[in-house]
Amino acid sequence: MFDDSFSSFSGFSAPTELRRQCNRSRRVALLNGDVIANSRAEQRGINARVFREGRCGFASSPEVDVSAAERILKQASQNAKFLADRLPSAGTALDLRERISHRDLWREDSVPQKDILDFLSQIDDYVKKIPHVVSRRVNCSCLSLEKELITDDGVYGYSFLPRSNIAIVLTALAPDGAPVELYQVLGGSGLFSDHFSDPSLLFASIDSIAEQLMQKRDGVFADAGQKTCIIAPELSGMLAHEAVGHTAEADFVISGSVAGTCRGQEVASSIVTLTDFANTFDGKVLPTPIYIDDEGVQAKDAVLIDQGILTGWMHNRSSAARYGDAPTGNALAFSFADEPLIRMRNTAILPGKNTLDEMISSIDDGYYFTATGNGQADSTGEFMFGVTMGYEIKNGKLGRAIRDTTVSGVAFDVLKTVDMISDQMVWLNAGMCGKKQPFPVGMGGPHVKCRINVGGK
Amino acid sequence: MNPNEAIARKCLSYLTAAGATQGVCVASVGTKTEFYYESGSLGLLRTVRNVTVSVKALVGTRKGVSSVNSFEEEDLKRAAEEAVSGAKISKEDPAEGLPEEITVQSFEKGPMVPDPEAMLLRMTEFFDELRERYPAVSVDSASLDHTLAESVYCATNGICLTTRQGAYSFSPMFMCREGEHTSSFNYFGAVFDAPTTPVIDLAGGRGIIEDSLKQINPAPLSGKFVGDVIFTPACFAGLLGSVEGNFLSDSVLIDGTSIWKDHLGKRVAAPCFTWSSRPRAEELTGGYFTTEGYVAEDMDIIKDGVLQNFVLGRYASKKTGLKRSPSGGGCYFVEGGTESLEEMIASVSHGLLVARFSGGDPTSDGTVSGVAKNSFEIKNGKIVGGVSEAMISGNLAKMLTDITSLSKERINDGTCVLPWVKINGITISGK
Repeated sequence: MFDDSFSSFSGFSAPTELRRQCNRSRRVALLNGDVIANSRAEQRGINARVFREGRCGFASSPEVDVSAAERILKQASQNAKFLADRLPSAGTALDLRERISHRDLWREDSVPQKDILDFLSQIDDYVKKIPHVVSRRVNCSCLSLEKELITDDGVYGYSFLPRSNIAIVLTALAPDGAPVELYQVLGGSGLFSDHFSDPSLLFASIDSIAEQLMQKRDGVFADAGQKTCIIAPELSGMLAHEAVGHTAEADFVISGSVAGTCRGQEVASSIVTLTDFANTFDGKVLPTPIYIDDEGVQAKDAVLIDQGILTGWMHNRSSAARYGDAPTGNALAFSFADEPLIRMRNTAILPGKNTLDEMISSIDDGYYFTATGNGQADSTGEFMFGVTMGYEIKNGKLGRAIRDTTVSGVAFDVLKTVDMISDQMVWLNAGMCGKKQPFPVGMGGPHVKCRINVGGK
Repeated sequence: MNPNEAIARKCLSYLTAAGATQGVCVASVGTKTEFYYESGSLGLLRTVRNVTVSVKALVGTRKGVSSVNSFEEEDLKRAAEEAVSGAKISKEDPAEGLPEEITVQSFEKGPMVPDPEAMLLRMTEFFDELRERYPAVSVDSASLDHTLAESVYCATNGICLTTRQGAYSFSPMFMCREGEHTSSFNYFGAVFDAPTTPVIDLAGGRGIIEDSLKQINPAPLSGKFVGDVIFTPACFAGLLGSVEGNFLSDSVLIDGTSIWKDHLGKRVAAPCFTWSSRPRAEELTGGYFTTEGYVAEDMDIIKDGVLQNFVLGRYASKKTGLKRSPSGGGCYFVEGGTESLEEMIASVSHGLLVARFSGGDPTSDGTVSGVAKNSFEIKNGKIVGGVSEAMISGNLAKMLTDITSLSKERINDGTCVLPWVKINGITISGK
């Protein structure tokens, strides 16, 4: 927890943000029982961002005392002046609305490293008894971002964003001798102790992974081509984040993303509503709860698609001013050395009215994709997701498991084919979004039935 | 004594005092000066300084690691104590240890001080040229930075490796627009020693931009066929990274899932394919030392199609009984062939020229599929136009054996030197 030495800073001569930050991480990893990682790390420092005639100067330092703050404020001012003196005025204003002060609750991560290692060892002891598993990895990663923000207009923000995950990776050999892998990430927002009090509570999840791995071991390759499919929350969350969300980030809109050209237009089936939530949905705190962003703006939900119509984008102060939209509080930075970028927080398609059973029984020939490994999308909304687990659907029933494949499509085309959405949704908290800087994000959603391209043999 | 070395040695003494029997400390200072363009404006000048102290403690053969970004006495002590306490609760592992060779060396390379005026000139010149010659190009973001990395690796057995390395780096991400049509985003990246060349001409950047302009309104690919694919150097670099990760690296050799684990000295690629790792190459900004405390040496990974070396560190070497790789990985060179890119395209009856592969993580056996982005369809030896929604699938190991030619032209982006690579027998499918 920070001391109060920064609370007295004032008298900035230009629009300015001063941010103090500490990222703490831990990693413990077992590979077939051997400890291959056992580390703790801390990255702390301060930064200043100063605006001048539409340009900005940024400077950061690992020292966190008041004299270092004064030094980097001066450096940031000089950087802004360097640009302003040599380039024409960019003139972009900063939006002045939704300025708040806010303080998250800080909690100490007091679990000894030994307890984490012991916990993983017990998990590993359980995993190594699973028949046919030829290789196993059990990894724990804990990360927390602690930030304090002071601005020229009197905003004070203090945020604390912890997450703790355990990943279990199992490998078995297929009948043809090829290694087949499956993994699952457990845990989520919060400290290690919030999720992992008793190793035996994870055994049911491990059994489920092992069962799916054995199915996948005997799985078939998917047929290539466009198919009617059900994508599980892991994939619908990826679709919301990668294929729609990124195109609706206002900086991407400015540079020409597809979402910039169709605001107010129908881009999806009318049963599709998609939102980037700030912190809470349905009364529950979400995986990446943001209450104040790193520009001192109150974080608000950004509704991107409302009943099939593209309604909005995600903003920082500059883009909100440029478009005359209300700021949404999406400006976030990963480390003390990073400037805030427009980032997603918790992005999801909202639940519908169907049950999963109804959705499966409505498909004669298609696939049910349940897990993904990675995903990418671009300015056109064309996306690709790796699929690490799935099943055939034949005549309204689940069939054989499939081996790894990929699915692809153009987001707004695929969303127009959505005709059923499940009434239950799941939130996931293991994603790190990469956009110049990494950032922990939440994503999730319901099961979604759509037409999608399947890669295969 | 170098100030970083003094920090590292102080930390080693704290490690020993806390109970480590052996230890390593790496003390680093990094400074970065970056001009950054986004949201339609060259709006940010960023100056970043950071320090890092990474400590590895061994208590017998038990390991603990800690790091802090501070040179303050109390933080160094805390890092050392955390590493030692981590080691004490860890498990015995006889594969742990320090490098056996005791080396004391220093290495310096590249520009140590940024030239902000020249950097700004290169950035404005880049955007001026886009406006004048390529107005359909819309840049999402572009970064031109200078980084100076100063570090010292010290170990309790006497190893001391000092590095001071500066480099410039340029990377734009862009798309092309005409009316309502937008190309896929595209990018290139280059690492270089001096801001003396227009950045658009680095790493084949101009060609990548001009190709993207031809892909503003690509046609969806139809049908499914098995054909030839020519991968651009940047795209092929990604595939080589997957080959390294899936077949050659520490974890897959330790856990035995690499399908090449017994293939040293055996043919794993077409005879025309030679791939090496050359960290000492003058033209690349490689590291002179490996992260494990060895002097890096150039090595062949695959020569004339035969596997010569894994990319294996000391720990994995001890764990598997296989030879440690002398290079530390990276800094790839792939030998060029005898055909020009034009001749390679002319030899394709039906296939794709693929500049970016957006694919799922390959499976352990190398099966991979994904979308061919920023790509062209080739028919009867001619490029017929940009394609969208084209998926390609294959197997990484088989792809290497199915290489039929490599271009004589190669691209050096400052981190690797690679040709265009033609591979046959790849499944290509559209809508």
